[in-house]
Amino acid sequence: MNFLYLVLAALSAGILVGKYTGFQFGNSYEVMLYALIFIIGVDLGKSRGLKEIKELGKIALILPLATVVGSLLGGLLASFLLNVPVKWALAISAGFGWYSLTGPLLAQYSPVYGVVGFLANLTREILTILFYPVAIRRIPKELAVSMGGATTMDSTLPVIVKFGGSEITVIAFVHGFILTAIAPFLIPLILQL
Amino acid sequence: MNIFIPLIAGIVFGYIFRERIKINLDKPMSVALLLLIFFMGVEAGRVEINAAELFVASVTFAVLTILGSLAFAMLMGGKLR
Repeated sequence: MNFLYLVLAALSAGILVGKYTGFQFGNSYEVMLYALIFIIGVDLGKSRGLKEIKELGKIALILPLATVVGSLLGGLLASFLLNVPVKWALAISAGFGWYSLTGPLLAQYSPVYGVVGFLANLTREILTILFYPVAIRRIPKELAVSMGGATTMDSTLPVIVKFGGSEITVIAFVHGFILTAIAPFLIPLILQL
Repeated sequence: MNIFIPLIAGIVFGYIFRERIKINLDKPMSVALLLLIFFMGVEAGRVEINAAELFVASVTFAVLTILGSLAFAMLMGGKLR
């Protein structure tokens, strides 16, 4: 949670600097973005998530697939409700809760949609932490994992395990791992439409 | 530069050197992320933003993506139970 405060502080400080000063940072944004994407790639490459996918069987692939389809359809509905162009709505939804990736990727093309992408995915993470314990009263706990999207392998994993039980750990981790692997490819693909 | 180049380069690098990479990537990732979000904020600060609209849009996206995911998980995953 402490890191979340740092993230919000960095965003607020940036907005204040942008609004009230004329500082120019050149291409630092792009350099940092590519550095972050490279580090994310290294982390994915050395991860042992693939091994666990094999052990879980069908649900390992079906649950993330449901999350992808459901998130994109939810984004499509939001696009009509909010009058946001479909391309941006799908790109925002394709973050699957990974706000630190979605925001910067979208901000490359539009600062406003970058901030929406960031906040929408941050809100998804926060809502998962708040409502996973409520959701599992009515929905099977392993299926309710889908609400957390890509965050179920890290930030929302403790809540899921605490309330869903330790037997849910591998499903949640693999679900998050697969979505974490999909999001960096899917968002740029949608943005190129 | 295409975003896929550093991503794929990173995956290949990480996979090839997965036994040798002993450093924790959390710290460099956090530093890169905080700087990136700061720069994103700077760009956003230069544009006129309606905070209320932004808040409504963010919550709508979050709620609908969660509900969509849950609905499809029930639909597709229900058969596995």
